[in-house]
Amino acid sequence: MSTTTLSPRRIIDCDVHCNHSIESPDGLDPYIPETFRTAMELFMATRPSHGYRNPAGQVHRSDCDYRSAEGFERDHLDRYGITFAVMQPQPTMDYGLIHNADIGTMLCSAGNDWQVDHYLNRSERYLGSICVNMSDPAGAVREIERLGDHPQMVQILAPGEALLLYGHRFYHPVYEACERKGLVFALHPGSEGSFRSSTPVGRPSSYFEWHTSLPQTFMAHTGSLVAEGVFEKFPGLKVLLTEGGYGWLAPLMWRMDKNFKALRATVPWLRELPSTYIRRQVRLTTQPVEEPANPVHAMQMMEMIDAENTLCFSSDYPHWDFDDPFRAFPSRTPEALMERILWGNAYELYEKKLAPLMKARETEGAAR
Amino acid sequence: MSACPGKIDAAFAAARQAPEPPGGKRGRLRVGIAGDFGEGLCTIVEEGKLSIGVYRIGGRFYAIRNVCPHQGAPLCRGRLMSTHAPGEVHQYQPALQGRVQRCPWHGWEFDVPSGKGLYDDRARVKTYRCEVDAEGVLWVEI
Repeated sequence: MSTTTLSPRRIIDCDVHCNHSIESPDGLDPYIPETFRTAMELFMATRPSHGYRNPAGQVHRSDCDYRSAEGFERDHLDRYGITFAVMQPQPTMDYGLIHNADIGTMLCSAGNDWQVDHYLNRSERYLGSICVNMSDPAGAVREIERLGDHPQMVQILAPGEALLLYGHRFYHPVYEACERKGLVFALHPGSEGSFRSSTPVGRPSSYFEWHTSLPQTFMAHTGSLVAEGVFEKFPGLKVLLTEGGYGWLAPLMWRMDKNFKALRATVPWLRELPSTYIRRQVRLTTQPVEEPANPVHAMQMMEMIDAENTLCFSSDYPHWDFDDPFRAFPSRTPEALMERILWGNAYELYEKKLAPLMKARETEGAAR
Repeated sequence: MSACPGKIDAAFAAARQAPEPPGGKRGRLRVGIAGDFGEGLCTIVEEGKLSIGVYRIGGRFYAIRNVCPHQGAPLCRGRLMSTHAPGEVHQYQPALQGRVQRCPWHGWEFDVPSGKGLYDDRARVKTYRCEVDAEGVLWVEI
């Protein structure tokens, strides 16, 4: 079977975006608590920006209706036969970057409730992300407690930009809560450059250069999560790195494993090779998928990271750098591997929440 | 909280067992007068292409092959140090004090008494049996 033709596959799309404004009545306005309304009038919800702009003026595709759930379903879910799509609401995912921690935490809650009302309650095809303010770990834990048992909430979502590298002990209470609730900890880029430069050596001059630099953040966070013992301390935690591609992971693992042999004594809590923790507890999404001139190289890179067990499909719909599930991968990708990427790996990642949803679906199908 | 032993725990367990090396089949090399060897020092003895580092650690003598299994560096010319045993996250447990040879090229750690590589459950460097005879001469069996 050709992988480039539409076929009745099962697909989990691990990264799609819905958007809202704060002020409008169909946005977050109804979700702002009375006690914070004055703070909002006083412009206390300000946050820094990275300062780059897509040359199209917007990051959204102009050929689809992404603003309404109806459009979302017609132009994406139905068009591609997406079984489940994991929502990453914007800009809620970046509210942790708001200068004022109280406002950031409050707006994360407002955006999460908006997401539940506008998408999750509408259809069980939508899976949700609990956006948290990582700059306020106690507030983040409260939000995980508040929404973690929602049957469609599958993960916690944090931006690539952060006060500290994500392995730091400051964040460990969040990971403890994720592990306890069986929720994935997901990262999404896009805000890099807000607190400091998106590269460690200076600010890029162009959107092109900034966008290309985004995997650097994921490399840094992944190294930190391993070295600071997060995977040793929370062996049940799973981390999903979305929208970072995957081509960078193999060299990072090799470098970490090599350094570990010399420098293990400085991180003595690590009981396994760094790559062992990564293969066990880190998953990646595909988009923006690397497209080497020789497609054989893409296949080799997948093999290097054990893609059969680590790689999950994502489209990033409705953004400009969207990947089509049937066109983004080399046509020679084996069917069994495509099944793992489009379905199996993500299903296993979210199984705690997906198994009951699938069962309900089967029961419903049988009743018809 | 994890307490799942991994490959590094296995490496340390093997190092702590430190079995006595088997006797030499080819003969023995004279190292020197045992009483002349200072604690924590290494002497290199050579026979043809064979190079062996002989150590006095805790009053006992140990010998390992002076070749790192990684890229063939003169292992025994690195520093003899201590290390940390695997433990809880962000806790430090000094371990194998004064008996860990770090390779001068890439810093890989080997426990001298056992020859065990501490970065992997399988890695090791060859060990040799040492003996002090009635006259106080130190020999290494090869």
